[in-house]
Amino acid sequence: MRSKLEIIFISISFIFTAFLFIIIGTLFIMPSTEGFLSAIFSNELLASIKLTLSTSVLAAFCVILVAVPTAYSLSRYSFPLKSLIKSILDLPMAFPEIVLGIALLMILGDRFLGSWLESLGIDIVFTTTGIIIAQFFVALPYAVRILYSTFNYVNPRYEFVSRSLGYGEFETFRKITLPLAKGGIFASSVVTLARCIGTFAAVLLVGGGTYLKTETLPIAIYYNLSLGNIDTAITAAIILVLISFGAIFVMEKYAHENMEGVN
Amino acid sequence: MFLDVQNLSVKLGQFHLHDVNLSLEKNDYMVIIGPTGSGKSVLLETIAGFFTPDKGEVIMEGKKITNQSPENRGISIVYQDYVLFPHMNVFENIAYGLRKKIQKDSFISSKVEKMAKMLQIDHLLSRNPETLSGGEKQRVAIARSLVVEPNILLMDEPFAALDVNTHAYLTTLIKNVINKHQTTCIHVSHNFNDVYNLAEKVAVMKDGKILQQGTLHDVFSRPTHNFVADFVGVHNVFQGEIVGHDKSLLQIEIDPGIIIHSSDDFQHDSNDVMVAIRPENIIFSNEKFVSSVRNQLKGVVKDIFEVGHTVWIEVQVGDVTFRGVLTPNSCESLGIKREKEIYLSFKSLNVNLMECRDAYHSI
Repeated sequence: MRSKLEIIFISISFIFTAFLFIIIGTLFIMPSTEGFLSAIFSNELLASIKLTLSTSVLAAFCVILVAVPTAYSLSRYSFPLKSLIKSILDLPMAFPEIVLGIALLMILGDRFLGSWLESLGIDIVFTTTGIIIAQFFVALPYAVRILYSTFNYVNPRYEFVSRSLGYGEFETFRKITLPLAKGGIFASSVVTLARCIGTFAAVLLVGGGTYLKTETLPIAIYYNLSLGNIDTAITAAIILVLISFGAIFVMEKYAHENMEGVN
Repeated sequence: MFLDVQNLSVKLGQFHLHDVNLSLEKNDYMVIIGPTGSGKSVLLETIAGFFTPDKGEVIMEGKKITNQSPENRGISIVYQDYVLFPHMNVFENIAYGLRKKIQKDSFISSKVEKMAKMLQIDHLLSRNPETLSGGEKQRVAIARSLVVEPNILLMDEPFAALDVNTHAYLTTLIKNVINKHQTTCIHVSHNFNDVYNLAEKVAVMKDGKILQQGTLHDVFSRPTHNFVADFVGVHNVFQGEIVGHDKSLLQIEIDPGIIIHSSDDFQHDSNDVMVAIRPENIIFSNEKFVSSVRNQLKGVVKDIFEVGHTVWIEVQVGDVTFRGVLTPNSCESLGIKREKEIYLSFKSLNVNLMECRDAYHSI
């Protein structure tokens, strides 16, 4: 027989999950089939889906490339300003995305790096590159946070044993640490990808949100909602929900399996 | 000297290893004992090269290896928690170190199989580590470390997580395998059975320092430090004062009127000393007897308690309490009971003297 506390806690989890499910589910019943089909095959949404996926995959890949060594060094090594670096990396998670967007716009705009980059023939603001940079900086702290926990979870003694058996630092990292951390790396890749796909304010400010050029899915929702194209906005939202759901489902399924027996 | 650790000091956060000195000959088996947090594991990991010492040297076969990276030292390590690579099966775990040195698969297979057979795990080679019992996991970990024929094998409480029977079985097995391979070993343990069964040399650590090292007999029978005496179960440790000589024997007063004779060739600057007598070296009798034993004291039994298959007796002599151990049969035949008067005797050879280093409380 379940205790009272058990019943109360389970009931709370059921009630609020049901609310959340109803809220998200409402999206799926809102557009007409005709409206949904015409929206999903419109030039605008097809271009948005293509742009969002391509920039997000590239940004997520870059994030993981940077986050793995960053998180590993934070987890394993002692060095000056380590606490400060950790705090700075966590900072973007604490303030609104738009703040990071403004900061990026300032540094990449005319005032700082922008004119120098322009002299080199590199355009970042209001381009696809700008979108990738915005997605990169928004998602990086999340990836570092997950990977930091992952590397902390991997017992350093695995590495000690490998070193004692004749393998150097890099070989040990490749043959032991990375395979043992693959669950966490996979989880952080999925979260990073989802975060890149969902980035709105920073991408709007740095990418510009130009129609058919730098308009990602979240921007498409915002624009179409502003213009009263409800079906298109909701269709874009449904696509985002499906992508996110798929990402989280895959992460839940594989991340835990891959972390078993590591510590 | 095969391994010479000289004045090794390491600071890790709040923990310090202070001026550690250790010496091992080739094929020595040293067991390091000491309370939790005394720095035994850090010492092993520093010898293995995982931590850089702030001071001191690690010298192997006359060559300084202090700044050599762990992979070039030829020192393998085995941990209490096995640390088997979970993404490899037992065969691959054992073969891991060999693959770095040897390219030929058939040679690797033959070496792995031979080692697995020796450690009686040849039937487990295709299994994944998580499906093994604790004893099996530890044998795999030891096989993985030994198969690369290390210069030194370091074992950090390898049997601590095992049940009593598996512990006893593995102790015998590992002893045979290590003897066969003629491997120099440093083994950290909390278990005195490991010391008795495996050690040729013993070191006692406390608070990041080696307090004493030497042969089993040196450390257990002739402790040079109050803590060592307590830790190795001497139990009878008293503060005293050298009050005279009787030919080659020193006379030590441990309580007004209670004089003990010792043949210890203890070099002393001060007359204040600590006296240590192992409980198993005390003989109990109902009457005084004439013998070569130079110490005979009369006391009153204050407490009797059974520990396993032994009986421990506390006897009050003046203000001093002696602890002795005997079999239940002896206890019964002597009719030992509380408040009974009894004689205790011990040879002057078995009275060990130490410097007075710090305030002492007998356990």
